[in-house]
Amino acid sequence: MRRLPVYILIDTSGSMRGEPIEAVKVGLEAMIASLRQDPFALENAAISIITFDKDVKTVLPLTPLEDLQLPEITVPESGATHTGAALRTLCEHVDREVRMSTPERKGDWMPLLFLLTDGKPSDIQEYNNQIQEVKRRKFGAIVACAAGMKARTEPLKQLTDQVYMLDTLDSNGFKQFFKWVSDSIGVGNRSVGSTDDLTLPPPPAEVNIIV
Amino acid sequence: MGEIVKVTANDGTTIEFDNESFASGGMKDAYWCKDKKEVVLFFRDKLDTNARDRLNNIVGLYRDRIFNQPGGEYWKNLFAWPTRLVEWEGRVGLVVPTYQKHFFFADGNYAGKEKNGKWFASAKLRNRHLRPEDKGTWLSHFHMLIKIARAVRRLHAAGLAHSDLSYNNVLLDPPGGNACIIDCDGLVVPGKYPPDVVGTPDFIAPEVLATRHLPLTDKNRKLPSRTTDQHALAVMVYMYLLYRHPLRGSKVHDIDDEKNDELLSMGEKALFIEHPTDKSNRVRPENLGKFELPQGDPGKLPYTICGPYLEELFNRAFIDGLHDPSKRPTADEWEQALVKTTDLMQPCRNPDCSAKWFVFDNTTKPKCPWCGTTYHGQLPILNFYYSRSHGQFVSEKYRLMVYDKQTLYMWHVNRFVVANEKTTPEDKKPVGDFHFHNGQWILINRRLPDMWDKTENRQIPIGGYVPLTEGRKILLSTKEGGRLIVVQLVNS
Repeated sequence: MRRLPVYILIDTSGSMRGEPIEAVKVGLEAMIASLRQDPFALENAAISIITFDKDVKTVLPLTPLEDLQLPEITVPESGATHTGAALRTLCEHVDREVRMSTPERKGDWMPLLFLLTDGKPSDIQEYNNQIQEVKRRKFGAIVACAAGMKARTEPLKQLTDQVYMLDTLDSNGFKQFFKWVSDSIGVGNRSVGSTDDLTLPPPPAEVNIIV
Repeated sequence: MGEIVKVTANDGTTIEFDNESFASGGMKDAYWCKDKKEVVLFFRDKLDTNARDRLNNIVGLYRDRIFNQPGGEYWKNLFAWPTRLVEWEGRVGLVVPTYQKHFFFADGNYAGKEKNGKWFASAKLRNRHLRPEDKGTWLSHFHMLIKIARAVRRLHAAGLAHSDLSYNNVLLDPPGGNACIIDCDGLVVPGKYPPDVVGTPDFIAPEVLATRHLPLTDKNRKLPSRTTDQHALAVMVYMYLLYRHPLRGSKVHDIDDEKNDELLSMGEKALFIEHPTDKSNRVRPENLGKFELPQGDPGKLPYTICGPYLEELFNRAFIDGLHDPSKRPTADEWEQALVKTTDLMQPCRNPDCSAKWFVFDNTTKPKCPWCGTTYHGQLPILNFYYSRSHGQFVSEKYRLMVYDKQTLYMWHVNRFVVANEKTTPEDKKPVGDFHFHNGQWILINRRLPDMWDKTENRQIPIGGYVPLTEGRKILLSTKEGGRLIVVQLVNS
């Protein structure tokens, strides 16, 4: 059975402290709970959560949805946003965790990547290098979410052309974003149009699309 | 909860609905009507004239053809058919009856969720995530499938094709043996309304996937039709009885690109995992997780456990007809084969058996393939014969397995009575029953006015009984179409 690996990268830099990170946690919990009721996700989704501030932490290695326990996510007092280092860790995980096809066995589906940040990369050189590494690996979709007024979209646009903006760092916005993430996980099981290729569902109303 | 909005439908009636969508599908968003007896499904995209025309016909002409006919009531349980059209903020919406309660999980982890077919088609979901009370028995899965086949047969008889039969579009209720076809708005009318979807992964016919790269106008492009519905139906029967996909084996067609591999293994290069001679797409049980076993392994539970009638149809669907649509069994053939197979079923003696029922395997040592429990004792099999000319009876290759407290119906008694939506209430009443009584099997006549034990040449009056002994010939009816049964006994 092919798995669908889903990597979620969450900014835990100092500015996320307080309400923003609590809102993210609520959103994540709601997403996991809703995916757990989705038979398609239960059958093949596996989720990994990586947080990044000045350190990168794999708070959840790639785990089948059904075995998943949401880990504690903490935010330091203050500090830099090492988005580049996070992408490096991500690539290491993808290389290790995503099963490739062999002549005897079908591999996993191409992984999905969701990146959520409220700022900009502090390690810009590493970030630019790692973008090349990410592009060398095959992702089914990469979606970046810039949350709050201080989030910078330009660096994200180098990573993917799917960049969405949340105006506020409140729980409703994150909830909508994570609902959309979970809808994206299920998109392969929907009716397929007679002309279009597989596409992600439309983003929630609260999210602004960067064109 | 949003605000209640009032709109006027195409037939002049008023529809009130909550303007906050509660669910979204591939093309539509769903909104509750105020009384929750109906929902409105609004299309996200603008519809062209042709699409509107089709919807008008679906709520009008085609609906009439199926529902406003004698016996039309029957179909209301088998389809959630759109009844009216509405427009709101430039979007077109369909008013559809709310799905019946038994198509939602009543409690447990999934309380309130629709019973999407996927839950019941996957070994892992069944073994790890469903509660026993939500799973039904193997026999109840046959009952669901009979309803699905019957509904598809009805659509096809009306000159329509569903075009997107899938887990999402057929709701199931295994404990009650119910099924309901939803999303009837994509119906295809050959030559008139082309399909706007190619289907849902797992159910798309190989020729549709194999030609999907061609433009819609190319004459070699294959689009959903009656024959692709037949493929989807065959996949459904296989999956809801065996809990694995008939084409998902271990053969890898493209090692580098899994999307292309998927396209080939479901399309151009599709191959039955249980193909008798080409073994290259066999399932490798060592690649399966522990919760996918034993059902995931065709070596343990081959498709032949579904009995001879279905075996033949599976052969036609997945061997002869996989790449040759004209050879695929029709919905009518599936319905008949499923009905006849239920006559070959035996309750499993093991109270803990997950399936509870199995199809008699035609051997002298019947064994439940699901739990391995063997049957001990005497088991009567009734072979049906019909009269071609006076006094001459021909085998119908149709059998009825007997079990304690089983009932006999008119469709067993007379070959002109068929078990389907047209069966009259009178014909639905049992006409006899079987018992293991004082160490022997007997058939008690409850309602048959002219039943004869031809071996002893005596009439069995209503209320009387006949013992089922080896070779005994029982004439169930002297009327035209009346059947003769010849008893066979298996001792194990």
